[in-house]
Amino acid sequence: MNMRMIIWSVLIFALLLIVALPTVMLIAFGMLPAIVAVIIDRTEERSAAFCVGGLNFCGLFTYLMDLWFGDHDLGQAMHILTDVFALAVMYGGACMGWMLYLSLPPVISSFIQVMSERRLQQLRATQRKILDEWGDEVIHDADLGGNGAAPPQAQAGQKMPAAA
Amino acid sequence: MAEEPFDADEISEPSPVKAGSIVLRERFIVNGDKPLPNLDSPNAKAYLAEDRHDLSRNLFALVCTPGIPLRTSTIKKLQVTPGPGNLELVESESVFWPIIGQRTMVIIYERPMGGRVIDRIKAGQVRITEYDIPRKVIQPIVDGLRHIRSLNTAHRALRPDNLFFLDEDMQEIVLGDCVTAPEGFDQPLMYEPLERALANPAGRGKGSTIDDMYALGASLVVLTLGNNPIERMKGEDLLFRRTNLGSYAAVCGNARIPLSLLEPLRGLLSDSPNERWGLDEISNWLNGLKQTPQQKKPARKGDTPLRFGGRDHTNVRTLAHAFNRQIPEAVKALKDETFHAWLKRSANEGDLSDTLKGYVDTANFHKENHQGSDEYLIARCCAAMDPYGPIRYKGVSVYLDGFGPMLAMEIIRNGNVQVLTEIINREIYQFWVSDRALLLDSIEISQQFAQMKAWLSSNEVGQGLERCLYELNPGLTCQSPHIIEEGIVFIDDLLPALDRAANHADSHAKPVDRHVAAFIAARFNEDTQPHLRALAAAKESTSVIGMLSLLAFLQWKLKTAPVFGLASWVGGLLGPAINAYHSRTTRRELEKEIPKLVRRGSLPDMFDLIDNAEKRREDQDGYADAVEEYAICAEEILSIEGSGNELQEKAEKTGQKTAATISIITTMIAVTIMFFSEIL
Repeated sequence: MNMRMIIWSVLIFALLLIVALPTVMLIAFGMLPAIVAVIIDRTEERSAAFCVGGLNFCGLFTYLMDLWFGDHDLGQAMHILTDVFALAVMYGGACMGWMLYLSLPPVISSFIQVMSERRLQQLRATQRKILDEWGDEVIHDADLGGNGAAPPQAQAGQKMPAAA
Repeated sequence: MAEEPFDADEISEPSPVKAGSIVLRERFIVNGDKPLPNLDSPNAKAYLAEDRHDLSRNLFALVCTPGIPLRTSTIKKLQVTPGPGNLELVESESVFWPIIGQRTMVIIYERPMGGRVIDRIKAGQVRITEYDIPRKVIQPIVDGLRHIRSLNTAHRALRPDNLFFLDEDMQEIVLGDCVTAPEGFDQPLMYEPLERALANPAGRGKGSTIDDMYALGASLVVLTLGNNPIERMKGEDLLFRRTNLGSYAAVCGNARIPLSLLEPLRGLLSDSPNERWGLDEISNWLNGLKQTPQQKKPARKGDTPLRFGGRDHTNVRTLAHAFNRQIPEAVKALKDETFHAWLKRSANEGDLSDTLKGYVDTANFHKENHQGSDEYLIARCCAAMDPYGPIRYKGVSVYLDGFGPMLAMEIIRNGNVQVLTEIINREIYQFWVSDRALLLDSIEISQQFAQMKAWLSSNEVGQGLERCLYELNPGLTCQSPHIIEEGIVFIDDLLPALDRAANHADSHAKPVDRHVAAFIAARFNEDTQPHLRALAAAKESTSVIGMLSLLAFLQWKLKTAPVFGLASWVGGLLGPAINAYHSRTTRRELEKEIPKLVRRGSLPDMFDLIDNAEKRREDQDGYADAVEEYAICAEEILSIEGSGNELQEKAEKTGQKTAATISIITTMIAVTIMFFSEIL
């Protein structure tokens, strides 16, 4: 972030403080979990920040609209911020975001793992079929080296073809 | 063979084919139980034969000794073109001869009803006077020799016991068999010209009519006198005497030769091939034209003898002969000044002495290689000392045109083949070729031996010593252990013989061994080189396909009848050729098809099945695709398996991204709904 962006950010923040101090205050306190997530998520993709921030904002937005479509003053903002239920909704959304962030990757990972195993089986079956038809010399002529050159294990009931 | 001698005159009716008898060409019956020992040749037994189509014909059969090289080209010529003065050669075929239990060549001749001339003379049943000799003896023999010369060959078996009375009245003399052994092989030393008599019997060479003329002269001496004046003189003694005195003096000696025959005998028994009487000279003499009388010319002699090898030598020719027998002593003599002094002063061979000294110096210069060996030196010196004699090397004496039969006899008798191969490999024949350029087509001989050297240098099947053997001996039977008892001389008989051999041969051995391959290469007038190259390949599958292609080519070209046994034999050896296909399905199909083709006995069909070009290409392409596909699969497997934690990390990140995406989308939907529900 260069100096120019910092200056612009400070200017916009200052302008927002002047024009919409209650909104800024509500967002600042209501989005605290998202801010924490941004700080602690050091990954390039910032998935945790997006995940927590998204649902945190979802919980906050109801109260933002009360502020925007009701009395847009500091009293109303303080009233919301001191309302336990309102805070529970905002921070509950953030909590949901964290839970989503923590629970979904293992599920996806397991799914991908299953898909990979399935693909491996298909590939080994293809190799098995090739060796049955063309013989083990294929392995030599494929000139692969490493693990990929190893002949697949014969399945039950299948016989290894004799090397020519 | 324990048969009782049979009197041919007892025949009155054609006998049925009995056990021990055979039928040639479905026409000629050879009666194994009726031997005719009075018509035997040295290498062939005579039996009574009959012509089923003409019972009045008087025939006999000569059953050749298996293994002795025959003069097949002369057999064909005499059979196709019968002529005067010769026994008519009626038919020939290689057949199974039950008495010896193997196949051999049987030759049917017209039966000479008067028997052997010399037997009749000795028995006093006929008397040939000096006045009968020209018209009754010489004329028919000359006619016979002239006919044989017209066939571009020579008789080379002219001797008194090979002359027959064709008729019972003993009026017509004919020449006997000459095809059952190599040229000059059966000739006693007395009937061979001196230069050829100095060679080993099998190596005396094809020779020419001029050699037959010498034999005629020697035979005339015996027929005129009624006995052999030098019968008791054998081997080295006879050669020594002939070399020292000249053949005429040695053969005639003190015998009472009729004056009228002196002139032709001197002409015929001349030791110089250029001065010897030929057919024209003898014909002129028969017609009463006077010839330039030949003086009795003894060999060049030294004043004092040189003692070597237990004999006193007075000329270099006998010395050359002795040198070849005692090489270490000969080398000592060559390096001894006494020998050179004798050459210069007594033998008057100063130039020869210088030449021999030069050879010794050359040998000393080449100490490290074969050109410095004693044997090489002596061979070179012998060629210089006796330029008209045979090539002499390590005790062997052989004419180059007799090299083939010599090689054959040495191989058959398990003799010293090494010496003969050295003559080729070390180019010892070159001494001979260069020194006798006037007598022989030296370029042709050089080319022939250069080709043999090339064959010898190759160890591949279809080349080597075996190739030389069959190229040089068109009448030699195939010596392959599979079919040696079949007595196969002609290429047309090879596949049927291998077919029969399939019944008893080791099924794991290849039918085409070194002998069979060389036999085919030498006798089959088609380009077999591609097949032989494949046969010689180190890769077993290529070699087997080469063998099959060669045999199939033979069957196709020669239009041989189905060979069921051979097809089965070859079919059992095709494993490597079938395994050359990569596709297991194709292999199974081929293995399934082969028995069907075996039952058809067709080698070309079998070859088409095994080496089908389209099938091969499909197999190769399919295999290449399979290798590529296997590699792609392997790479993908490697990328999946080899990732390890990376896959886990990748899955986690994908999950995190998915969670973030779900969160954002949910928020957007919720915000939108809330916003619009508020304002609407």
